[in-house]
Amino acid sequence: MADGHLFNNISLGGRGGTNPGQLRVHSGGILWKKQGGGKAVEVDKADIVGLTWMKVPRTNQLGVRIKDGLYYKFTGFRDQDVASLTNFFQNSCGITPEEKQLSVSGKNWGEVDLNGNMLTFLVGSKQAFEVSLADVSQTQLQGKNDVILEFHVDDTTGANEKDSLMEISFHIPNSNTQFVGDENRP
Amino acid sequence: GDNRGAAKASSDLIAYKNVNDLPPPRELMIQVDQKNEAILLPIYGSMVPFHVATVKTVSSQQDTNRNCYIRIIFNVPGTPFNPHDANSLKYQGSIYVKEVSFRSKDPRHISEVVQLIKTLRRHVAARESERAERAT
Repeated sequence: MADGHLFNNISLGGRGGTNPGQLRVHSGGILWKKQGGGKAVEVDKADIVGLTWMKVPRTNQLGVRIKDGLYYKFTGFRDQDVASLTNFFQNSCGITPEEKQLSVSGKNWGEVDLNGNMLTFLVGSKQAFEVSLADVSQTQLQGKNDVILEFHVDDTTGANEKDSLMEISFHIPNSNTQFVGDENRP
Repeated sequence: GDNRGAAKASSDLIAYKNVNDLPPPRELMIQVDQKNEAILLPIYGSMVPFHVATVKTVSSQQDTNRNCYIRIIFNVPGTPFNPHDANSLKYQGSIYVKEVSFRSKDPRHISEVVQLIKTLRRHVAARESERAERAT
């Protein structure tokens, strides 16, 4: 326990879907390895700027935000893992994970939050979904009220999923006051 | 019933009450949950639900490279034939997801999804407009 925790069946989520693997949380940081080799993610304790927990269908998701703006999402933690890892993070990193909630109401209206590379769509202050602006190849303004995000495509697109998101657009009514006259909006 | 009635009622429709009400995770692909009247879209490794009443149109398309595309357009306020309704007034200031487009490896799955969404949408719209009519 003092030296860390090992978790099997933890998947790393991202643009191309999810990859199953193994996650080790130790006093120096976090190490995730893809099942069968290949991709690995290593995060040094000192680079962690934020941690989040979110209950997702039938399991829990750990969000790890690091210094350079990258954000990793690991899924597959049991409820008891959440408790023990929260303790561990508090003791070894001095960071208390924040709790986030997932929106499952199915509404298509809400708020957009921009934080680092991530665009989060929130419904009633709960997170509905997140996309990374680092994967956006092009943004377009359509008319006065619509913003289109086009995601870049390469050989790895959809490696772990059958259907891949190519484009998403948001409608920002004139009544919205959050992004009025902001040239830097997505 | 008219469109206004349906749109007004749809603002109160909820796909799921709890996180664990979502169908068990399967392959990451678009799913239609008829029981809960929801479509589930794979976005960044998560299945994201949208109530079918938020869907305006759905269409699919195939290119010469055997790639198949599906486009889902959601209801947003202020577009022609979808005037400012109770919904948009109630949620003034909100930002809307207007459109999503997915590329699929499986054309048969996409045409099935398009049919399922269209049928479910029709069914829910008919029921809601009937309900609105009865209420007046």
